Amino acid sequence: MGFILPIIPVITVLLLFLTRKSFLQHIINLLASGLLVIGALLLTYKVVNEGSIRYGFLGGIFYVDALSVIVLDIVIIIGLVTSIYSVGYLQEEIRQEKIRPGQIKRYYLLMYSFIFTMVMALTVNNLGLMWIAIEATTLASAFLVGFDNNKYALEAAWKYVIICSVGIAIAFLGIILFYLSARGVLSESAALDWVALYENAKSLQSPVLRLAFIFILVGFGTKAGLAPMHTWLPDAHSQAPSPISALLSGVLLNSAMYGIIRALTIVNCNLENNIFTGRVLLAIGILSILTAAIFIMTQRDYKRLLAYSSIEHMGIIAVAMGVFTPLAVFGGLLHMINHSLTKSMLFLSAGNILQKFNTMQISKIKGVLKILPFSGTAFLLGLFAIAGTPPFSIFSSEINIIVALFSGGSIWIGVVLVLLLAVVFAGIVASLFRMFYGEREQETLQPGEINKVGTGAIVVLLIAITLGGLFMPSYVIELIYQAQGLILGI
Amino acid sequence: MNNVIYILVQIVVILAVAPLVNGINRKVKALSQKRKGAPPWQMYFDLYKLLKKNAVVSDVSSWIFKAAPYIVFATALAGALLVPVSSKLAGSQIPGDFILLIYTLVLGRFFMMAAALDTGSTFGGMGSSREAMISSLIEPSILVSLFTLGLIARSFSLPEIMMSVQNNGIPLSNPVYIMVFLAMVIVLIAETCRIPVDDPSTHLELTMIHEAMILEYSGRHLAFMEYGAAVKQLIFMTLLVNIFLPTDQLINFSGLLAVLLSLILYVIKIIIVAIVIAMIEIKTVKLKLFSIPNLAALAFILAFIGVLQYFILGGGYA
Amino acid sequence: MLEFVKILSILILLSAFVLMGNKRINSYIETFRAQSLLIALMAGINGIIMLKTEGRFDLLAVCVLILVLKVIYIPGLLHRTYAHVKYEVEKDFILNIPILISVCSALVVFTYFCLRTLSSIIPNSIILQLVNSVSVIWIGLFFMISRKKAIGQIIGFLVIENGLFVTTMLGTEGMPFIVDLGLFIDLITAILIMGILVFRINDQFDSIDTDQLNKLKG
Repeated sequence: MGFILPIIPVITVLLLFLTRKSFLQHIINLLASGLLVIGALLLTYKVVNEGSIRYGFLGGIFYVDALSVIVLDIVIIIGLVTSIYSVGYLQEEIRQEKIRPGQIKRYYLLMYSFIFTMVMALTVNNLGLMWIAIEATTLASAFLVGFDNNKYALEAAWKYVIICSVGIAIAFLGIILFYLSARGVLSESAALDWVALYENAKSLQSPVLRLAFIFILVGFGTKAGLAPMHTWLPDAHSQAPSPISALLSGVLLNSAMYGIIRALTIVNCNLENNIFTGRVLLAIGILSILTAAIFIMTQRDYKRLLAYSSIEHMGIIAVAMGVFTPLAVFGGLLHMINHSLTKSMLFLSAGNILQKFNTMQISKIKGVLKILPFSGTAFLLGLFAIAGTPPFSIFSSEINIIVALFSGGSIWIGVVLVLLLAVVFAGIVASLFRMFYGEREQETLQPGEINKVGTGAIVVLLIAITLGGLFMPSYVIELIYQAQGLILGI
Repeated sequence: MNNVIYILVQIVVILAVAPLVNGINRKVKALSQKRKGAPPWQMYFDLYKLLKKNAVVSDVSSWIFKAAPYIVFATALAGALLVPVSSKLAGSQIPGDFILLIYTLVLGRFFMMAAALDTGSTFGGMGSSREAMISSLIEPSILVSLFTLGLIARSFSLPEIMMSVQNNGIPLSNPVYIMVFLAMVIVLIAETCRIPVDDPSTHLELTMIHEAMILEYSGRHLAFMEYGAAVKQLIFMTLLVNIFLPTDQLINFSGLLAVLLSLILYVIKIIIVAIVIAMIEIKTVKLKLFSIPNLAALAFILAFIGVLQYFILGGGYA
Repeated sequence: MLEFVKILSILILLSAFVLMGNKRINSYIETFRAQSLLIALMAGINGIIMLKTEGRFDLLAVCVLILVLKVIYIPGLLHRTYAHVKYEVEKDFILNIPILISVCSALVVFTYFCLRTLSSIIPNSIILQLVNSVSVIWIGLFFMISRKKAIGQIIGFLVIENGLFVTTMLGTEGMPFIVDLGLFIDLITAILIMGILVFRINDQFDSIDTDQLNKLKG
């Protein structure tokens, strides 16, 4: 099934080129994302039962295992939710005359190219091709970030393209060094092959590999939004159309993190411990959380606040991968899933608020709960969830990681992490909660949801993250266990 | 005895060839402007004429003004002794290395600048300050280039550097030598007041550097000043041709004939370089004064890359 | 033949320095063109060696691609872009040129000391090439920081790509062809996207000075 997944977005893009009517384009969009989900579920079923799959054709460049399936599922599920939401979102934008009907086609074209590049990044076996696909994600999403074509959006798009392209170029240097480390061990065609590298990890050249890891961490870390390479992220996330922000935050960051985890696995297997990678990842992770905490405390723009929260959660995942005990890796992978679902739900409901109030300033918004009863509630609960309060799923993965830190001997880092999480919680509460209550000043705003279908999708996500905090389906756990085994090399 | 011959040949050749270089340079430039121009040996007549005349000396000037021409000429000639025109003659040991060469020339330059300040004219002061700026910018490049060559040859003495280059095949196929060579070309242009840096034929106050300094001189004094400058120019050209375009290894016998042959080759090389430099002057425009640091930075970078490549290869070129 | 490759690798490094010393956008573009030509030459030489020893055409094809894309197409595209958005020659760099160049030479020394740690593993001749080409990457990065105009930043990105390409070619004796091809597709798309963004920025801000992109903060 794996090879079908990249084909669906390609066909979608071709079909979109041929259609003129926006109605047809919406239908194609929904069908395509539905088909993608079916394909992904079948693939997941196969991987859970049979382990990793390698496809023989095209020189064996396609390869799927539990780790890539986890991220792939996130991509495709968030893709489905986003595409459902986009229908209502775009209609509302047209109604408010912010975009022309002709722009719908461009939106979907770019969105499916974006999804295609991410699917490619997750299904190829070759580190070089993975790099190319991740670089292509930047290019495909650049115009999505700049979709509004005003001064702010263009500034965000320019920063996004420049910073991410340069960052990713540095990652390529790391990949070249990976290749160098395999000199004399692997044949030329296999030297970038992830499976071959993984199987021969012990005989690679350690000093070259160490250098390579630093470059790959900096490079893919730029795309994953780790501090101090995060500066593009708040701009891009706040200026992109809200569904695209959801995709960027919930999906793109994970794809980049996936690249880091792949490299991490090989390096740790080669060095036979995680001291080197652990130090680097813990430092960069804590720095990201700290940066995010500081900016969340003083934020006046709710979409930017959500963007900084993404930086924080990527930092938490980096910390989890740095600790590298089975519990931490389990928590990290679970956190990836939970964060994506929660954050995309938040961005989607923030999109409803933005369309209703037409401002991103927190201070100008009052009485969200009255005006937008469903998405307002979802936004409020989502904020509790993202800050890590108990009934929701993020709490369960965060507690896993914190327990792993304390039991793994990194007590001080655990203490710092808990303190920073408390600061973030306080920051979110202090800045955002005044939006929900109070009298509305603008009498022109009528209470009522605008994007009904989209709000339905938001509510489904809310249910998912609430249930996810209470219990986990066994096949999800099985999948995460398999991925954990791959990462730890057991 | 060997040393006496060496010194004699050295002085005779340098003094004989130096004015010719200027003459060729002017002739090529004249031809490029569709003028007939003076014959290449015009400068000999000029010097002869000037030497016959008395010098006019300003009342307010001190002894420095009168001494400077002789010091400039003497330091240039002393420097010339350290740069062998033919390695066939350099078998004898010459005391002194390229550091001595550079600072002997700097001594002459110091007196030239001091003398230009001495008369109190505005042009002299302006020329001195510009000259000081250029020389301080160019000096690092000369030293780094020559040190690189010295490192490769494992000696700071110029004859030994020349010998080691001759024994190492064609120098301009070696990346280190290419970089140092290009740096030296820029140094040569800057040190001899050629066009991208200074214009030797101008008397426009905005652009003069070297000319501004010798503006007050006349007669004998002017002759020595100009002769000194010509000798200095020839020293840098000799460095360039004898290090980077060695021909002496082609002559695989010794004796008087070998020396003569190598001197003839030397003169031919110098003439070619003089023509090439004239071409550069024709093709380029003079840089404004504040852009000269950029040119100097380029020269320094070339020399620097050269020395770095040498270190990366761990002396692999020795 | 190998000596020639060495000279080319040093000349490529030198071209990065020359780029740093340039003042006008037109001369950036021409320097980039010259650098790409040097790289194409290098790919051609290595390609001929590869054809003789292994009978593969990969690098020769890459050489043609570089000639078409980086020597002819992209510089032309940048010239056209610049002609559309041109206003006047303005000061484009943040520090003066000698300082910028000194920083660049410090970068080269830094690279040398970083890569020297690998000298026990990789042969010295490859370290030399790596120092040169990796320095080109850092100089490209620094070029992007030091210029304020959007086109200067695009050129910086292209120089980084050039450095990466040379590093790939020398350090690894050529990546699999499909990777090279993908690199080129990405590169050309990136340049087109950046070019379009430059047009739009010029429309909105009436300038391509990236100092004006300061609305989003905090």
